[in-house]
Amino acid sequence: MDTPETKAPDAVLPALHALRCVGAAGTARLHEVTGLDESDLTSELIDLGAAGLVTRFPGNPPCWLLTDAGRAADAEQIAHELDSAGARGAVEVAFGRFLVLNPELLDLCGAWQLRDVGGVVSANDHRDPAYDARILDRFADLDRRLAPVCAELSAALSRFGRYRIRLAGALDRAAAGELEYVTDDLASYHTVWAELHEDLLATLGKQR
Amino acid sequence: MRWIRALSAELDEGADMDALGGKALGLALLHRLGLRVPAGFVVTTEACRAFLRDGCLPDGLRDELAAAVSGLELATGRSFGGPRQPLAVSVRSGAGVSMPGMMSTILNLGLTTGATAGLAAETGDRAFAEDSRQRLLSSLAATTTDDAPVPDDADRQLVLAIEAVFSSWDAPRARTYRAVHDIPHDLGTAAIVQSMVFGNRDAHSGTGVAFSRDPNTGANIPYGEVLFGHQGEDVVSGASATSPLRALADREPAVWTELHGALRRIEGHYRDACYVEFTYQSGELWLLQVRPGRFVGGAAVRLATELVDERVISRHEALRRVSTEHLRHVRTPRIASYEETRVLARGVGACPGVATGRVATTPDRAVRMARDAPVVLVRPETSPHDMHGLATAAGIVTARGGPASHAAVVARAMGKPAVVGAAGLTFDPGTGAVTADGLSLDDGTFVTVDGSSGEVALGRPRIVADPAGDHLNRLLAWADEVSGDHSERSESQRLAAAHAALASRGTAPPTRGANRPWSGTHSKRRRPAGSA
Repeated sequence: MDTPETKAPDAVLPALHALRCVGAAGTARLHEVTGLDESDLTSELIDLGAAGLVTRFPGNPPCWLLTDAGRAADAEQIAHELDSAGARGAVEVAFGRFLVLNPELLDLCGAWQLRDVGGVVSANDHRDPAYDARILDRFADLDRRLAPVCAELSAALSRFGRYRIRLAGALDRAAAGELEYVTDDLASYHTVWAELHEDLLATLGKQR
Repeated sequence: MRWIRALSAELDEGADMDALGGKALGLALLHRLGLRVPAGFVVTTEACRAFLRDGCLPDGLRDELAAAVSGLELATGRSFGGPRQPLAVSVRSGAGVSMPGMMSTILNLGLTTGATAGLAAETGDRAFAEDSRQRLLSSLAATTTDDAPVPDDADRQLVLAIEAVFSSWDAPRARTYRAVHDIPHDLGTAAIVQSMVFGNRDAHSGTGVAFSRDPNTGANIPYGEVLFGHQGEDVVSGASATSPLRALADREPAVWTELHGALRRIEGHYRDACYVEFTYQSGELWLLQVRPGRFVGGAAVRLATELVDERVISRHEALRRVSTEHLRHVRTPRIASYEETRVLARGVGACPGVATGRVATTPDRAVRMARDAPVVLVRPETSPHDMHGLATAAGIVTARGGPASHAAVVARAMGKPAVVGAAGLTFDPGTGAVTADGLSLDDGTFVTVDGSSGEVALGRPRIVADPAGDHLNRLLAWADEVSGDHSERSESQRLAAAHAALASRGTAPPTRGANRPWSGTHSKRRRPAGSA
């Protein structure tokens, strides 16, 4: 059987690294994050659990968490992957460009959630479609400027390709009227963006 | 001069308000009120627009700058970039619209190597002079994209700083902010150049921000923060832990008395609460910015009714100042202000409401502890790893980050009371244990979070569910008198009926901009039709 210990050190384990980027998650969510079948993910997670790299957290649905050993193993694997692909420079540059866009994303999320009406800032009740459309338009503009950064990242390491798909999916759903896909849902634009941020930090071994 | 105007009491006489920007007009007001303002001048928004259009500062501006700097040297008796009695200046954005955190500010300009040595000799404090120069170098480097070294020439530093302030208007983030808030892109920003006042000068120096009344409650007690021995940007940026304003009364009673008097005088002019930014150097108070307080919710209600009691405004004016939007926030629960309330830390309220629970310092512990009782998640800042903890917590506190941080966005998405940027919290890097106000907050300690005021208090302080209740009842009674309608209706209907009655009598409908010297074109353009 293919246990984590017997895998080559350069193989980044998808479920392990997904947990590193998204925190606690069940298999349905890990499926969204990685694009892998839930059954394959479950199998990998059970192996990882046996190796002491993840723990199962009972709940409804149950979720999985990295252990300290899992975090260390992931750090080692992604550092190895980054260097053997010769991608460190490209990811560093892309991260720098991401950081320029990051405050703007947070501003936009703030504007989506809060609205200044006559000097009083209140929760945006989403009853003004023109206001919401203006913000979503700015999200789309920001997303267009993020696209080349994502392209550089995917070219450097193919696993970054999922972010483009997930971010575009969130904006599409928001534009179609599913407003929770901007900031509120676990698959929202804000959540996926924050996971990309975390992934970049983890990949480059940086602190926030 | 075409591009530059001196900051003085007469600044706005016959001038184009748009060209000067709101900050400069506020400084002119402070001059008129006889309050101490550092000498300076304003480079107009017209110069900014020319710079953004042509990619370079307009013809003649450099000559005007040289003349304006000479004027500053005369006014202060100091020499810009000179080795003896050096003059240092600040360059700030003076846009008519507020774009928090997006516009560049550069302090301590003119501290060349020679001038720094001169400042060290003059003050006998080399560490102070070097600290000030380092701040200049890092802030100027942060505003330029290339890696060119900061020139060791005061005049060139000044030109670079003005270009940096003007350029920051067109940064993509600022453009997005304006698009979202419907602010025209063609306004541009003014740049304000003033002689430096050093809050880091000595033990009798510091900096802070102050409201004439408490913006959380409207109570008639000055409120704010002070940072002893630091420069102004440290307060606004939240980079350092501040003390409540009242600490100034004990430590610098003369400065406090003068500040208190200044706040009263400004209130008298606005006939409204006000906000100032100040620095004091060696015991001498200087005001750096002023604007109306812009209170909201229950604080706006209490302020308006108490100004009537104080015979400052009429009942009609009080009704005009409280919009129905304010009523939406009147009933947000708050931590009561009592002597016995022990406030452990203050930050920015990111999602209103009050939550009490036991401290959990990791998301995993939050999930475990929340099975038994409510939990307050306390973190340095948050990341996706905290999501399950955030989801399970009743309240959220972070030490870093502002109202747009990850934690703030998630807290609002989940509707949980949250305080972010509570800089007084310290975390042990090894154990993650958190300390606040000299107290170790072990996991399980009871704390209460007020997501409006940004306070984190020990234990279960008293909560007021209806903090402005008495004031609101009085205001609404005045509203019924004006409308003549005493039937059973919602509070906002009662207020709206009074507004309609006042409007039909030919008085203006409610506006936040009444009596404000710079409620001019910018804010009128921003406000939706019918509300201005």
